[in-house]
Amino acid sequence: MSIVLFLSITIILAATTYLVRIIYLSHAMVFAYVVLMVILAFELVNNVGAAHGEFFLADRLGIIFYIVLIVVSFFSAIHYVKFVSNRKVEASSVALHNAGTIFFTGAIAGVLFASHVGILWALMEATTLGASVLIYHNRNQESLEATWKYLFVCSIGITLAFAGILFLGLAAHKVGHIDFTFSAIKAVASQLNPVWLQACFLLVLTGFSVKMGLVPLFNVDIDAKDASPSQVGASLSSVLMNAGFVAIYRFYEAFSATAILPWMNKLLMITGMLSLFFAAAYLLKVKNIKRLFAYSSMEHASLVMIAFSAGGIGYFAAVLHLIMHSLAKSSLFFQVSQMHRIYASKHDDSIGSYLRINPLGGLVLLLGFLSIIAMPPSGMLITELMMFQALVAKNYWWLAIIILILVLVIIYGLAVRLLGILFLKKPLAQINLKGATWYESIIQLGLILLVFYIGLFRPDFIVDNIKLAIQSLPL
Amino acid sequence: MINFVIIIFIITLIYLSKVEMVKSYYPLMGLQGVLLFLLAFLELQEIDVVHLLIILLETLVFKALFVPLFLLRITKGRVHRHQKSPIKGYYSVLIALVIIVLSFITSHEMHDEFLDVKYFTAATSSILIGLFIAINNRDLVTHLIAYLVIENGIFLLSLALGSEMPMFVNAAILLDIFTSVLVMGIFFNRLKDYFQNTDASQLSHLKD
Repeated sequence: MSIVLFLSITIILAATTYLVRIIYLSHAMVFAYVVLMVILAFELVNNVGAAHGEFFLADRLGIIFYIVLIVVSFFSAIHYVKFVSNRKVEASSVALHNAGTIFFTGAIAGVLFASHVGILWALMEATTLGASVLIYHNRNQESLEATWKYLFVCSIGITLAFAGILFLGLAAHKVGHIDFTFSAIKAVASQLNPVWLQACFLLVLTGFSVKMGLVPLFNVDIDAKDASPSQVGASLSSVLMNAGFVAIYRFYEAFSATAILPWMNKLLMITGMLSLFFAAAYLLKVKNIKRLFAYSSMEHASLVMIAFSAGGIGYFAAVLHLIMHSLAKSSLFFQVSQMHRIYASKHDDSIGSYLRINPLGGLVLLLGFLSIIAMPPSGMLITELMMFQALVAKNYWWLAIIILILVLVIIYGLAVRLLGILFLKKPLAQINLKGATWYESIIQLGLILLVFYIGLFRPDFIVDNIKLAIQSLPL
Repeated sequence: MINFVIIIFIITLIYLSKVEMVKSYYPLMGLQGVLLFLLAFLELQEIDVVHLLIILLETLVFKALFVPLFLLRITKGRVHRHQKSPIKGYYSVLIALVIIVLSFITSHEMHDEFLDVKYFTAATSSILIGLFIAINNRDLVTHLIAYLVIENGIFLLSLALGSEMPMFVNAAILLDIFTSVLVMGIFFNRLKDYFQNTDASQLSHLKD
């Protein structure tokens, strides 16, 4: 099966799912779609580097994040079944949500494999439309507000990214006609006017920053993760962030052999540092647990950008960090759903003694907390150490110290809230003990243990594939 | 002829920056659609049916007809005058003029043989004035208009820079923009029903 056929089936399946008003059948459509994704994955893994039509290429980086997409989508689908059964959601809302899920997931898969600049842009815009349907799911004041803001700001951002692509077109005039695939751009990039390439990269980074949850357009991303159901927040915090990274990576790689490489690295470093600063500042005052995790995602996105901008081992660290973050953060967002069922609140004032009330869920939260603050045995400790190693190798000592201070502030902010939730007794209005379900927690625990496993053992097939995926970048 | 059309387009931008009655936006957006069609048509080097059809669809059908009628429909009977903006009346005109002059100076100083200064001035003015309208107004319908003004600027920018995408990519981009306007319109309707008016300051429920 080719990627083009897969995307065509995605559209048909999404449209069909929207028409299905039997809840179980609607869920079954999403699981069928996950099976379809797995079939495509087998095809792609067996033909790494194969072109699929003029607009798609199954390269190693795309495949790595595609596998993460399958894992997160599958567990998201399971959690949504539970979400619907608890909330008694109307069949029409379930149909719309499941159709939106298929469309959104397909658009992300398309972004991961797009080899043409225009198609990448169009599919990125499609993720905005899919995400807006998912964010609107609860149909209340918060979700309406978040959806409008997300749709409006993303659309403006992606329009600016399109302006960047047009500047690339202007630069390309110098070498005559090119087909706007990333490989064609890379082949001629060193002959193009660097000023236009800089304008292109700046606008693309600004436009796609909302997908990665970075400065300058991060606010709407935080609101979206807060107002949407937890499993949607999990997708926005993991697979959408990965898609944003891949989109920025494609442009970076295409321009990496030009004179603007140091400038791009500086720009990514500034973006990462500013994002880290804002994440630290907001994390200290936030009391809403979903927003807490959303700002934590912003922290990790900024660390990824900093590692990437440092180059060398930082490239490897950035990709591996994103994989592990996707697993840990989606697990934590899934867990928030259970906490909300038990306490009917997402504010830490009303959530306490969680380890005693729901021991398995509490364990997930505790291990998830250790994971995201990069405490041993979390694999993220390894990637963060690699990031510092890359910074020191470039003699960015002073930056490494500032980053360390900001990360400590973030750890403090997270510890105060999450350890309070786990261990402190608080005046709780009502508790619904039936809200805890062991199988959900087991899934979440599995995802976090996977992060520990990757960190402790660094399996060869992951390490080797990441190294091969980034081998085209400069040392 | 091209110069004349571009000047009219820039005048519509100045007028858009000071509009106070929501209904005044619709003919202006329609006029911009017609002007963009004229510019795209005049720029066509050879008449190719498929290319002409795409341009017709994007400018006359979508920008000149669909957008004004759609906006009229979603605001009908409810929204007449947009909310007060921090920078009012002729001060907005002054800012729009400064943007246009700065855009012209920047375009002129670029000295790139492949850059068309006229189009580039109009395009960057449209994008920046669109952003100014979005920032300067608290009304949600005006935000939607601002997005469309920015989109018109991007259309002009593609003419200024003459970058050619394959037909399939153009169609996908057009479909995306069309759908995003449609979806924004749907959510605008929901917001209007929910909040009874369309002041963006009401959208402050989500806080840290």
